[in-house]
Amino acid sequence: MDSARSSAGRAGLTPHKLLIAGGFAVGKTTMVAAISEVRPLLTEEKLTTASVGHDDLQGVPGKTTTTVALDYGRITFANELVLYLFGVPGQERFWFMWDELAYGALGAVVLADVRRLDDSFPSVNYFETRGLPFVIALNCFDGAPRYDPDEVRDALDLDPGVPVVLCDARERGSVKQVFITLIEHVAARRARAVAAVAAPATAAPGR
Amino acid sequence: MIAVASQGGWRRRESGPVVRPYAVTGGRTEPADGEVLDLIAVVVATSKSTGAGSEAARRTPEHRKIISLAHQPTTVADIASGTRLPVGVVRVLLADLVMLGAVKVVRQRPAREMPSDDLLREILNGLRAL
Repeated sequence: MDSARSSAGRAGLTPHKLLIAGGFAVGKTTMVAAISEVRPLLTEEKLTTASVGHDDLQGVPGKTTTTVALDYGRITFANELVLYLFGVPGQERFWFMWDELAYGALGAVVLADVRRLDDSFPSVNYFETRGLPFVIALNCFDGAPRYDPDEVRDALDLDPGVPVVLCDARERGSVKQVFITLIEHVAARRARAVAAVAAPATAAPGR
Repeated sequence: MIAVASQGGWRRRESGPVVRPYAVTGGRTEPADGEVLDLIAVVVATSKSTGAGSEAARRTPEHRKIISLAHQPTTVADIASGTRLPVGVVRVLLADLVMLGAVKVVRQRPAREMPSDDLLREILNGLRAL
């Protein structure tokens, strides 16, 4: 087992994870599809009291898992660097999946609809608690009210450093800009963390 | 043998097909080696994967499908998508193949380490060039 893993050499493929979170039907899959080829993925849901009411367990004695469909997308760059974009289901009954999806992720986009801003609270709480860098992307549907990003920042009670951007989840260029903002934010946080290590007297608490 | 419903199968809203996917693992739900591979762990088929003999004869069609998808280095997520099997099932089957030496794990996701400047720059350049 160990020998199989240690004889690795070059993987020839270096994948990295980004997450797209947000409330139900806010446009996560649309966002993934705007910038990458979407693939279906089945994963498991452990049945909890929250979902037992929805699932007919008759005839399946002892069954404690069912499957959940997720979408993900891939963006392939040169040198076999691949970004995997995972849409994270926002409903509370899927929260058990978040830790796995977030494990080792570079960062996250919280896609928000200004008409249902409170749907983004769970995602914001989750990423803040875990110290995972994230940006807020306000999906501007046709006819949706436009808000000043600063108003949204106040409403979500965000740390000042968290970027808030407007986007159109259907537009490739717009989505691309959201991910650029996210990676720039990850890089800025990294630079601050490195500086804090170099000058511990003035360091802010790291994650 | 594969219990996964494909297009047009019985689906519940928001959660996908209702299946009994662990039939293909003989009811096993945990990888035999105890290692839970990350969704973007990279695996590749080894030279042993093409062998005949009693071991190869015991492989199921799902094992063979996984090997065929892993001729080039590929991720757990891509194998799950390519086989239409749930991720947990793929992990069990991959662990079988790793223990048989037919597949090796070349890159498990490192634990929450900070990304390097070079990596972030490479991703930024890649995104801007899209």
